[in-house]
Amino acid sequence: MDIDLNTKYRITDDVVAREIEGELIIVPLTSGIGDLEDELFTLNETGRSIWAKLDGSHTLKQVIESLNQDFQDSSGSVEGDVVGFVKELIRMKMVITASDE
Amino acid sequence: MKTTQQIHEYHLWNKLSKHRSLVSFNIELTARCNNNCHHCYINLPAGDTRAIEKELSRLEINRIADEAVELGALWCLLTGGEPLLRNDFSQIYLDLKKKGLLVSVFTNATLINTEIVQLFKQYPPRAVEVSVYGITAETYEEVTRKQGTFIAFQNGLKLLLDAGIKVRFKAMSLKSNYHEMQRIAEFCRSRSDDVFRFDPFLHLRYDLNEKRNKEIITQRLTPSQIIALERSDIERTDSVKKLCNQQQNATENTTASNLIFNCGIGKHDFTLGWDGTFRLCSALQHPECVYDLRKGNLKDAWLNFAPKVLNMRREPNSIDDCYNCRLVNLCSWCPAHSYLENGSLVTPIKDFCESAHARNKAFGVIDHQTSEHEEI
Repeated sequence: MDIDLNTKYRITDDVVAREIEGELIIVPLTSGIGDLEDELFTLNETGRSIWAKLDGSHTLKQVIESLNQDFQDSSGSVEGDVVGFVKELIRMKMVITASDE
Repeated sequence: MKTTQQIHEYHLWNKLSKHRSLVSFNIELTARCNNNCHHCYINLPAGDTRAIEKELSRLEINRIADEAVELGALWCLLTGGEPLLRNDFSQIYLDLKKKGLLVSVFTNATLINTEIVQLFKQYPPRAVEVSVYGITAETYEEVTRKQGTFIAFQNGLKLLLDAGIKVRFKAMSLKSNYHEMQRIAEFCRSRSDDVFRFDPFLHLRYDLNEKRNKEIITQRLTPSQIIALERSDIERTDSVKKLCNQQQNATENTTASNLIFNCGIGKHDFTLGWDGTFRLCSALQHPECVYDLRKGNLKDAWLNFAPKVLNMRREPNSIDDCYNCRLVNLCSWCPAHSYLENGSLVTPIKDFCESAHARNKAFGVIDHQTSEHEEI
């Protein structure tokens, strides 16, 4: 799966993100979200930071730049993290391109 | 960056269990039912206009559910009466799902249709729990007292199962279906991998209707019938034996405090009554334990009212009560059932007590001799 850094991505309406006890929990709303039944999804701190920026109004490149500033990281590792994470979220049907609306 | 975990092993439960926090709630969408079961504790007639007028509106349910979500609730059970009797069931179900709640539904399945199945397919419930009253028309309708309900049940259940909706079964055991219980268990276990549970302990009605309560008492199985039923079911026999072994610790921490409620109610859940009442458990109808959410709000009920109920204490006037009984694990007695039966939160329930003692004698492996003062 190719990820275009100039594409805007957003969280699908088919999941609901809930913050409970300081944890971000992703609750699938419709069938076919995720791999397995009977599971909840949680994100770690990095995942949460990326998730929050996938709002459909910024390209992935802008998201990466913003995260580089947030984490004060110039090593280039953020781009790999973001691309890998977004790939996984797309596979799980949790994220779509903003143009899919 | 992302972790997935099976719900039952989710580490959030450990976190939540360390303090009082809202995790789940039940919503009684209605007190009405299209069946008229002998044994039921909440089944006003389907067309009961007074009940309809008092039911929470969709708007009210949404307001309260929003507050529950804000307090951290993740699970929600839709029950009744028969929840599918409500014309706005689908909208309410979707409203709750879209709040990020994991929604389960209790139903008799007789009103399941293709629209409901389509809804459940697109927006899967956490579980659908179906009550089974019999597996022949004769027995089923002897319990429901409504003609045509067995066929409606069969059709509804088939729709659910054919669509691959997760179904869990339960059955109440009463005189009217006692002869069919083994076959009911086989029927249920052959159609779902989930746990099948049956319950022979019939508590009384939430509306305290005396005439209907007499019908329930008439339908209660005798202790020997309960034991025969449990002996005939290997899974049940094993679980009752385990309960017998746990009896030594059952009241260990409960007698000293004189707290009325030692059962864990109100720690992580509550029930939203069909008429807007807030209760710490479904059966707890004592007026001092009920909060009107139409006059107040959930935050006040959960944070201020509930702790007062949980702190209610009993008079340490006797050692002969249920709080000192080692068989509490084998008994369906609890303060809520006590109130429904006797009008008091702390009074033994004769039928339950006799069954508990008989079960202990039949299945107990530690000590068959219960002391004299424990007998009623």
